[in-house]
Amino acid sequence: MDHDSRAMLLETADRFFTDRVGKDVVNGVEKGQWPADLWKEIEEMGLPLIAVPEEKGGAGGTLADMLALLRLSGSHAVPVPLAETALANLLVAAAGGSPKPGPATLALGDLKFSGGRLAGKADRVPFASVADRFVTVVGTTLAVVAKANARVEAKPTHAGEPYGTVSFDNAATDFSGASAVSAERTLELAAVMRAMQMAGAADKVLATAVEYSKQRVQFGRPISTFQAIQHMLAELASCVAATIAAAEAAARDADEGGLKDGGTFSIAAAKSQASEFAQRIAALSHQSMGAMGFTHEHILHHYTRRLWVWRRDFGSETFWGEKIGAAYAKAGPQALWEGLSGSKYAA
Amino acid sequence: MSIPKLEFPPFHLPPEAEALRVEVRAFLKETLPKLKSEDRFASWNTFSPEFSKALGAKGWLGITWPKKYGGSERSFLDRYVITEELLGNSAPAGAHWVADRQSGPLLLRFGSEEQRQAILPRITRGECYFSIGMSEPDSGSDLASVRTRAEPVPGGFRVNGTKVWTSGAHRNHYCIALVRTSGQHGDRHKGLSQLLVDLKTPNITIRPIINLAGRHDWNEVTFSDAFIPESCLIGNEGDGWLQVTSELAFERSGPERFMQNFYILRELVRVLGRQPAKRASAILGRLIARLWSLRQMSVAVAGMMQNGKSPAIEAALVKDLGTIYQQDLPEIARALVESEATTEDDMADFLDVAQYATMMAPSYTIQGGTTQVLRGIVARGLGLR
Repeated sequence: MDHDSRAMLLETADRFFTDRVGKDVVNGVEKGQWPADLWKEIEEMGLPLIAVPEEKGGAGGTLADMLALLRLSGSHAVPVPLAETALANLLVAAAGGSPKPGPATLALGDLKFSGGRLAGKADRVPFASVADRFVTVVGTTLAVVAKANARVEAKPTHAGEPYGTVSFDNAATDFSGASAVSAERTLELAAVMRAMQMAGAADKVLATAVEYSKQRVQFGRPISTFQAIQHMLAELASCVAATIAAAEAAARDADEGGLKDGGTFSIAAAKSQASEFAQRIAALSHQSMGAMGFTHEHILHHYTRRLWVWRRDFGSETFWGEKIGAAYAKAGPQALWEGLSGSKYAA
Repeated sequence: MSIPKLEFPPFHLPPEAEALRVEVRAFLKETLPKLKSEDRFASWNTFSPEFSKALGAKGWLGITWPKKYGGSERSFLDRYVITEELLGNSAPAGAHWVADRQSGPLLLRFGSEEQRQAILPRITRGECYFSIGMSEPDSGSDLASVRTRAEPVPGGFRVNGTKVWTSGAHRNHYCIALVRTSGQHGDRHKGLSQLLVDLKTPNITIRPIINLAGRHDWNEVTFSDAFIPESCLIGNEGDGWLQVTSELAFERSGPERFMQNFYILRELVRVLGRQPAKRASAILGRLIARLWSLRQMSVAVAGMMQNGKSPAIEAALVKDLGTIYQQDLPEIARALVESEATTEDDMADFLDVAQYATMMAPSYTIQGGTTQVLRGIVARGLGLR
């Protein structure tokens, strides 16, 4: 997509999410109400097909276009698997398949594929209970399994999103093909996707806390005029800034690397950074908003709870940190600066 | 809802800058003097005229300045890469640091032709070093309250007052002093001017101020009826405040804000060995990820500046977060090494450097604008004041 088309798409999507993803919709999903109308409209806008080639009915956008949209979806707590479906569709199309309508998700875990069938278990699968199909990459094969052929144990997250454990018992596949993307790369793409959603959520947390501080009056003046609050919000801004800068840089690198690439250091670093600061962002925003922000009534928790859950999705700071640390330790002190300045694993 | 938009558009340093990096790296590999670890650690506070002259000979000081003043008219991003490489390799960049970073650009912007011709080529050769004469005993964060007075007299100014925390004044050639040339104390921003002060001027006394780590970087510079010629006024009389605030904004977001103690991180990698335990790897990796993120913020700000924008808030955020990172680093490293070091000797050596790093850490969030002053700037940017 050229610059203008992307800007237009993001603007349209922003307006749409503002209109249609209200507090009630997000709370409804937490109570187990699937927002079928919302999903239908999202599909009508073509958003889940943003990074699918035009000849396969998609919008022909790049990975970067998709990630920009998902950052935006994060800043609206869009409570449907738009991110998961968009990435799954991209992977299916790249493996020669044709994405189908309906919500999909990624089932990544210790799985085996043989004789056209899938076996094993994937934990913490986002939106497992509402997905029509599960997409995975095992070795060099991409496989799609319909929900009828999988067993889902619902384990909603503390953010109220319908995650679950998905078991495949020699499950028949709807589609399988040579994956354009390695299993390692699939995890990386999922991680940068989540990091961008975290950047969006972080942005929204900052905006929410800043706005609240200007409205809330105590001791006869808006609390934004108190230096204690100002400094807290400035610190919050610095944590949000790091999350955004890291995620955006990783998104750029992921896009430049394309599907084939693997071992993109900046994705590991960005997910580690986003996950590491999730707590500080949540803590500072809640502290600045007092009891009001701790209520279920307020929307702040839609974002802070997601940050707390998302930091573990597709690798926490411990997971990615370990990968980075092990590589840098192995390469030794002389390689440290060269690795860092080159945005790559030290070697 | 009006949302404060923070943007850090990812930016690639251009190929010329990356090519320069390769050259600088090769040069440093050959040229870096053997230094004790405390001096490597201190990097841009370590004074080495030989090293600065060698850099100058390569054309890497004042690299962005016009050729007629000894510069190379290269981009600000080339300079960014040189700065990064000096810090990434813990080079002793203290002699030329302030001159190249701050004083030279100030003279280029506001100085007279005579001042530029006299000074700038010497800076680019690595022969002329500067101190900053802003703070006073009663003027720290509140810089507008300076009391040092420069009273106009025939042919120049008679200066009386005291500057403090004047780094390197005992060995540098010049200091740029913020002084009151007209009006009264209490006039705040009005009536201030900047003077180019030769530190060998009679009636200037320089006394050491030793910091808590026992190091002599700072000085107290006292003017007692010191005569400063009129030709040493920088810019216009009364424009000092405007000039000094633009000087403070120079590269608030540069690599020195998060790489000042980079040496500790490299030492940590060394002491953890090639195959640390999983937990140690994870902690190391998280530190590396945080530093990388700061670099992405900083490079993004550099990119915006190169494209003609003035991302003041974003730049302030880099300094706030970067200096706090530098304070966390020795603490996290210390705890990690105490539980993971392979040998007692390694541990003892490392903990010695880490202890030094810990002692230096309070300075990071004070120098160049305290964290609290910066947060005030950010709060204004967020529309809170």
